[in-house]
This record gives sequence, structure tokens and C-alpha cells, in this order.
Amino acid sequence: ADGKVYRMKMAETWNSNFPIFGDAPREMARLAEEMSDGRLKITIDSANKHKAPFGVFDMVRSGQYDLGHSASYYWKGKVPNTLYFTTMPFGMTTPEQYGWFYYGGGQALSDKVYGKFGLRSYPGGNTGNQMGGWFQKEINSVEDLQGLKMRIPGFAGEVMAKLGAKPTNIPSGELFTALERRTIDALEWVGPSLDLRMGFHKIAPYYYTGWHEPATELQFLVNDRSYKRLPADLQVILKSAMKLSAYNMYIQSYHESAENWATMKQEFPNIEVKTFPESVMKAMYKANEELLAEKAAEDPLAKEILDSQAEYMKKARVWTNISDRAYLDSLDNLAD
Amino acid sequence: MIGIIMFFVALVMLLFGFPVAFTFGGVALIFGVFAEGWDMFAFMPFRIQSYMENTVMMAVPLFIFMGIVLQKTRLAEQLLEAMGKLFGSVRGGLAISTILVGSLLAASTGVVGASVVAMGLISLPVMMKYQYSKSLACGTICASGTLGQIIPPSIILIILGDVLGIPVGDLFQAALGPGVVLIGCYILYIVVITWLNPELAPAIPYDESLGTRSQQIRDALKAIVPPLALVLIVLGSIFSGIATPTESSALGGVGAVVLALIYRQFSWKMLFDSSLETVKVTAMVFAILMGATAFSMAFSYTGGDYIVEEVLLNLPGEKWGFIILAMIAILVLGFFIDFVEIAFIIVPILAPVAEALGINMVWFAILIAMNLQTSFLTPPFGFSLFYLKGVAPRSVKTFDIYRGVVPFILIQIAVLVSILVMPGWYGMD
Amino acid sequence: MFLVSLERTLGRYSLWLGKLSAVLLLLLLCNVFYDVLMRYAFNDVSIGMQELEWHLYAAIFLLGIPFGLQTGGHVRVDLFYERLSLRGKAWIDLVGTLVFLIPFSLLVGWYGVDFAREAYELGETSGDPGGLPARWIIKSVIPVAFFSIAISGVGMILRCINAIRGVSSDGFDHDPIQH
Ligand code: NA
Ligand code: NA
Repeated sequence: ADGKVYRMKMAETWNSNFPIFGDAPREMARLAEEMSDGRLKITIDSANKHKAPFGVFDMVRSGQYDLGHSASYYWKGKVPNTLYFTTMPFGMTTPEQYGWFYYGGGQALSDKVYGKFGLRSYPGGNTGNQMGGWFQKEINSVEDLQGLKMRIPGFAGEVMAKLGAKPTNIPSGELFTALERRTIDALEWVGPSLDLRMGFHKIAPYYYTGWHEPATELQFLVNDRSYKRLPADLQVILKSAMKLSAYNMYIQSYHESAENWATMKQEFPNIEVKTFPESVMKAMYKANEELLAEKAAEDPLAKEILDSQAEYMKKARVWTNISDRAYLDSLDNLAD
Repeated sequence: MIGIIMFFVALVMLLFGFPVAFTFGGVALIFGVFAEGWDMFAFMPFRIQSYMENTVMMAVPLFIFMGIVLQKTRLAEQLLEAMGKLFGSVRGGLAISTILVGSLLAASTGVVGASVVAMGLISLPVMMKYQYSKSLACGTICASGTLGQIIPPSIILIILGDVLGIPVGDLFQAALGPGVVLIGCYILYIVVITWLNPELAPAIPYDESLGTRSQQIRDALKAIVPPLALVLIVLGSIFSGIATPTESSALGGVGAVVLALIYRQFSWKMLFDSSLETVKVTAMVFAILMGATAFSMAFSYTGGDYIVEEVLLNLPGEKWGFIILAMIAILVLGFFIDFVEIAFIIVPILAPVAEALGINMVWFAILIAMNLQTSFLTPPFGFSLFYLKGVAPRSVKTFDIYRGVVPFILIQIAVLVSILVMPGWYGMD
Repeated sequence: MFLVSLERTLGRYSLWLGKLSAVLLLLLLCNVFYDVLMRYAFNDVSIGMQELEWHLYAAIFLLGIPFGLQTGGHVRVDLFYERLSLRGKAWIDLVGTLVFLIPFSLLVGWYGVDFAREAYELGETSGDPGGLPARWIIKSVIPVAFFSIAISGVGMILRCINAIRGVSSDGFDHDPIQH
């Protein structure tokens, strides 16, 4: 290897000290620099510097930045097929989804979607199962969703809308007041790892379990030209640093969720964790299936991706059921 | 180094008197292109888009519209005059009324541009009509318009909550005490200064032809009701959950039009003219923001943020030394840089140190917010000063405004020091 | 004489943009009011209508800037400027417009074209349920506004030249905003 120093610039969607999400790209940059003995230096610009949290796709594409850290489903409005590489309602769990991405054909499909734009996308860290959100009122039936004003963006919002809920846009700075004053009835954010600092547990009694983002994966976006400028060894180092830091974020999220949930529950022992009743889950599942069928009918590549995911999940879930689920089920009631 | 030179060049250029917005933009262009090349400006559309999608800023045109309609229909003037009369022989009654109205506006929005402009439109002409000192009038308006920063809801508190990872609700609660104290101090200042120097703010003369004293008070109360009802609608819609703070500004605008109808001041021409003037003032506010965002882009992309970081990382590692120097650093930087930049560049550097020193983070956030509020008022780069200048009559000179804000800046520093020394008194131990 | 009439033509264009913005502002007022009413009274929310709010608001402030320039609405630090003669003011505005205003707005407008074209080519839409399609329309307001600022700048240059030559003092004596 020559001694030349290669510099890359990365734009992240988050502000400079956003916990967990923002730790992943920093960890990646640190690993890349140390593994390359200082030959690969990556500087990170946060959203408060470039002011374009949702312009990361365009900026990496045009080469203003070599790398980006964001989430694939943010680009759904620009490139519809990017939707499928973050997480899907009723979709795979995190280990299942990693299995699909690395060994089940996910990477090749991602390359098909992003390659057209001179981009590569790699996993950028997983939040694990996200919570269904904070609710001011209980949801006991599909009727309770009628007219339910909820901050729930993107595809999951479409599913809710199909059942009569009213997805509502509220700027994130006004979310707390809006939920407190019941301008909206419910909202989804992430999970305990990041919800704690928003303070929603102080103002909403019900915390529903997740269904819509079982395995939210962030992404590292890479400009293909910038990537090809690197010598072969640095390419390997970059990819390894991305993979390692993504894995690390998944574990960190798990840890922070456990810690923060304990804090919330201690401060506010009356928070009720709820799961949507079966009738509601069934209705949402059906709405989700219908929407996916529409997407598949519109675009052959979408169909290819969705089929690939469905097929992989079927196989992987059987294993999940006789491994993790069977283990957890077998532990039930042991303490009694 | 380029960042520092840029500041001084911008300062000198501003003094030539070319519009502020384009002086910022032009200086950014010259330094940016020189240091980083043309391509840096490919970031500009993204930065502009971040303002376009920032729906919280939508309160700016909507509140300005409310202010202009109230002003054109003379309802605002009646309100202030009535309040001034209620204070009767109290000198500075109009200034005190201005502070109170400013506090109410502050409680309904966190957008300084909106409140300063609305106040400037509403109360400056009235104070000038009654022979107030120009600088006292301007200082009062800038200071009370800027209260929106510390009195919840407030953008800076929302940003600080985000940056420091503190629930916004906690910050809003903690900011109430300091906000109320600040209002009290402003009023006290007006009372004292007008007592010392009656010329500054004469009492509204008692005019016998308008009826007896008690009748005048009754009239005054009657005049207060409609605009006050409007403010209550705005605040009430937020507290009852009917509208978000931003949306409440539209309710205020619609309410003002309804008032105009009730008081037979409505005409389509009045409506369109109000709208056209709103556009002009709004454009003035946003042009400055566009220029300033170009300027801060050039500043940070040419390495200015690293210089700031360097300085801050060398602050002492002992509690009081750290806090005092950090406050001074923020205050000095506030003379030059936009508060959003400060919140995002500087606060993240200070936060871990503060945390390590065991400093109460809510208290720390409130100190910073108070400090940043002051940055809106400090000449020469004080956004409130620019906004007021944009709507002031021609006879009001930039210097009048600069001179007028000085006492209020001193008051803010005094309150800041009191929070620093006696956090317990404000409920932040 | 040609310069004077050209200046007036450019001026009319900026004024027209201002009037357009004024109409959009009234629409914005109705839009927000409608959204609040529907949500509170009828429990109905339309993301499309909510997005229309910021589309209108963005167009208002962007298209208002050239109008503000034409009508003298932009703030100056006039510690010295106000004491200058008409010619002195005209010289400052002439140089400022040539060196600062026009290059800045042309450059931003230029990159704004790419920005809007990108959205057009991708067929960018809102990512939220029921959101608005055709993002390129609102994005192209950026280049339109900044090129219009440059056009307003040309008008300003003509005003300055006319003032320096002593042909006309139009544009140096604007009424302040509220009177
Ligand atoms: Na406020
Ligand atoms: Na300042």
C-alpha cells in the first residue's frame, strides 16, 4: 500500500450530538482511520452544518459528499423502491433482515436500486424493534382508529390511513405540546432509547408495542466514484468499518432501550404497555398486504424485492420460532 | 482564520449601508468562492429548502399579518392608548403596555422576527405620536419582542432541549420564572427611568373634552377588550389543543379580519393592502435569514467552526471558571453569530464538560437561552435590531435603536447573573 | 429615456410578484384556518392540505424578496448612508448590486436550477400518505425567485445610473413600511 492519505467527507441526517444514530458514523470513521493506520480519514458534517437532513441522497449522489449516513426509506418520495431497505410493517426481525441482506440476496437488490444513481447503500445500524407509539387513548377495536390523529409518517402512515386513522404532520419541536394538549391523539417516535429525552412518557398514559418498524436499519450511502478512487485495501477497510459500526449500533440500541425503559418505568410506574388487540392487528395486517400488492403491481423491481423478502422471511421465521421464540416461551411462568 | 477576517469585512461592509441581507450574501460569496470554490454554493438550495419546510417559521408572515391588520384598522392603537390611559398619570404607560402586549405575544410564539415586527408596527407609531424618546421606544420594542425566546413556547429552548437531550417540557417550565422576572425588571426600569427623566416618556395628557376621568377609564376598558380577546384566542387555542402554536398565528390573522368586520373597518382593499405589506415585511425578514445562512455556510465551511471549537476546548476545568468563561464566550460570539449556529456548534462542545462538572443541565440550558436572547439585541448583528429598523418610520435612525437597547441588554445581563448566583430562587438547584 | 422605461418595466415585474405573493398569503391564511377547523371540529386531517401550507408560505417569502427590493423594503445599517447625497447613495447601491447582489443571486439561482431539475427528473413526491406530488414545482420557486432578485437588481442598477446622471431620482425615496 502507498502512504497516501485519502480523505472522505460524510453528511449525516442527524444533528451533531444525536445519540446512538449519530454515534454509528463516528464509530465508523474512527474504525476506518485506525484500521488504515491513518490513511483513510473521514470527516462528518452534521445536519446543523449542511442544513439538509433530507438532502443527503442528492448530496452524495452529486459528489458534494462522498458518504452519507441516513435511512433508506427517507428517499421513498424520490425513488420509491428505496422504501424496502429499512424495515417493513409486519416484516422481518433484525437478525432475519440481516440474514436476508447479507446472505439472502438483499445486497444485490439494493445495488439494483441504488446503482442506477451511482450510489451504493450498506447497513448503517439497527434500532431493533420500534415501539408502536404513545397514545392518549386506548385502542380496543378498529373503530377506535377512526379519526385517530397520529403523527406516523411514511408507509406505516398509509397503513393506518387505510383503517381510518388520520396521519398528521407536526414539526418535531411542537410534538410534545401537540400530544400534551391533545392536538394529536398519538405519535410514534422510536423506542425507549430515544423516546426518553422527548419526555412523552410524562404526558401520555399508553405505550403500545410495535408492529410497523420491527427492524429499522439505517444506511451508509457511498458515492460510487468516490469508492472507486480508493485503493483495494481501503475499500475493504471502509466496508468492514461500516459493517462493524452498524452491528455496534444495533447492540447499543438494545442496551440503551433496556436502560431507558427501566428509568421511565421507575419515574412513571403508571405507564401502561399495551399491545393492539388481535382484531386491530388483523385489520392492519390486511391493509398492509393490500398496499404491498399495489406496490408490486406497479413496478416489477418492487415485486422482485417484496417477493424476495417474503420468501426469505417464511424460511427464517420457522427457525426463529423453534429457536428464540420457543426458548422465550419455554421460560414463561418459570418464576411462579 | 478566514472566518475571523470574514466577520470584520462583513462588519465594515454593513456600515456602507447596502441592504443587510445582500451584504451578508455578497461577503459569503466572495470568501466562499475564494476559499472553497463555486461548488460550495450548491449547498444553498438545500439551506433555503430547510427554511421553506420549517413550518414553525410560518408564524412570521401570519403574525405580521395580524399586526398589520390591527394597525390598519387602528384597533392596536386604541388598545395601547387605552392601556396608556389606564395607567393614567403614570409616565411611560405606553412603554409598559408595550411590554405587557409583547409578553402576551411571546407566550404565543417563539419566533422573534414575528413579535418584533408586529410590535414595531403596532406600538412604535403610537409611542412616537405621544412624544416618547425614540431610543426608549425602540429599546422597549426590541426587548419585549425578543421575550419570545425565553418565554415558552420558544425555538431556542426547543433546540437546546434537542442538543442537550433534555425534555422540552422541563425547559419550558424552568424558563417561566426567569421570563417573568425579566418582564418585571423591564417594567421597573421604565418606571424608574421615566421618574428620573419625565421627558423620555410623557404621560398621555388628560383631555377633558373626552368626558370625565371615570368615563374615560370605561372607554379605555372597552377599547382593550377586542384586541385582548384576540390575544386570548391565540393563547387559548394553544392551551386547549385546538391549534399548534404555529397554527394559532393563523387564527390570530383570521380573528383580526373578523374584528375589522365587527368594527366596520373592513374593505377588500384593506385586506389586500395588509397582505401586500405583510409580504414586504416577511420578505425583509427572510432575505436577512437567506443572507445569514449563506454567511454562516461560508463561515463554517472555511473552517470557522473549528476555530470556535479550539477556543472553547481550552476553557478551564473548574465549575465557576468554566461557567463564567462559557457565558462570556457565548455572549461575545452572540454579537456575531446566529443563535441557531451557537446552539449547534458551541453547546455540544460545552455540554459534556458541564455534565462532567456535575452542573444541573436544565439550569445550564436556561443560562444559555438567556444569553442567546441577548444576542438578538446586541449591535451590530442583532436580528431584532434589523427587524425593527425594517418597519420603523424614516425618522428612526439605526443609532436610535442601538442606543435604545443598551439598558435592556444590561438588565438581561443582570438577570442572567442572578440566575447564575441564585439558581435556587428560580427553582433550579 | 430608454433606461428609464426599461427600469419601469422591470419594476412592474417585481411588483407583480409581490401582488402574487399577497394573494398566496391570503390563501395561506384560509388554508391553515381550514386545516385547524377540519381537525378540531371534524376530526379530519389531510396531509396534502398540511403540506400545501408550507408550499404557500415558502412561495410567499421567496417571491416577496424581489418585490421588497423594488419597493425599498430591505434593511440597511444607515449610520452613514442616510447622510450621503443622492449621488453617494446611488454609487453605494450601484457597487453593492454589481459586486454583492447580482453575483450572489445568480449563483444561488444557477444551483437552484439543478436542484429543481433533479426533483423533476426523479419525479419526486411527498413521502407521506396523501402528500403532494410534483415537488419540482415548489423547488423551482428557488431559481425563479433568485433570478427575479437578479432582475430586480438590474432595475436597481438602472435606477442608480439614472440618479448618478441626474435623470431621475426614482427609487431613493421609498415610504417606510407602515405609512
Ligand atoms: Na415564546
Ligand atoms: Na448579536
